[in-house]
Amino acid sequence: MKWMQFFTPVASINWEEANKLVDEHADEVIFLDVRQPGEYEGGHLPGAKLLPLGDLDNRLGELDSNKHIVIY
Amino acid sequence: MLSGKGFSKVYNLSGGIKAWKKEVAVGPEDTGLYLFSGEASAEEVIVTGFGLEMGLRDFYLSMQANVSRDAARSLFGKLAAIELNHEERLVDLYKEVTGNALTLQEFAKKIAEPSMEGGLTTEEYLQRYKIDKESELEILSLAMAIEAQALDLYSRAAEKSKDDATRRVLQQIAADERSHIARLAAFLDEQQALV
Repeated sequence: MKWMQFFTPVASINWEEANKLVDEHADEVIFLDVRQPGEYEGGHLPGAKLLPLGDLDNRLGELDSNKHIVIY
Repeated sequence: MLSGKGFSKVYNLSGGIKAWKKEVAVGPEDTGLYLFSGEASAEEVIVTGFGLEMGLRDFYLSMQANVSRDAARSLFGKLAAIELNHEERLVDLYKEVTGNALTLQEFAKKIAEPSMEGGLTTEEYLQRYKIDKESELEILSLAMAIEAQALDLYSRAAEKSKDDATRRVLQQIAADERSHIARLAAFLDEQQALV
């Protein structure tokens, strides 16, 4: 996946760990969907924020840097 | 990109969405958002939420009337009863937010028209999830998909809300939906253990 190069090195967590993060921090967790809108439309994590990779740089201000951000 | 710009708690979901073993939501970013304007008050979004719970309860009751197996009928009845609990929870939340204590019946009169939870119509749900409506496991899977859709809708509405109190209420309802999903998942596990 091409976008990996932008985010590494960051911690990787699996889906169970991501769920645990939500259990422990609830509203403090943002699932960030960096795919294209068509892919988001076909299926996304409930509550995920769509922010396609190509727009990420210009729209970083929409994200709260104090929160846990889980990217897929 | 993020970690270099002040974001310190960033994680990569390994395997992406394909590795996600729970429900997903579908549809574009604005699905169902016509129900919640960005200017809506906390009170208004609770009333809308109540309409969604009512709509889902009606849906389960209509499904209950259209199945022949006792187990399926009983399960749809249980799911309808659960929605009634959710309605009561919203009446409590309404009291917390506005200070007005209303009965469930008084509250129901505020609803112009019940909507379907998650912003998709009943028909859309049935077309999308072509379930065997006599199968308990498939009924529960449908219920979980609807709750996931609802969680998604409330989260997106919270994000779009311009009012802090409204946003907090929408986040609270979203958190409630998350716990509904967890309870349904536990129930589904029990059912699967019986198969």
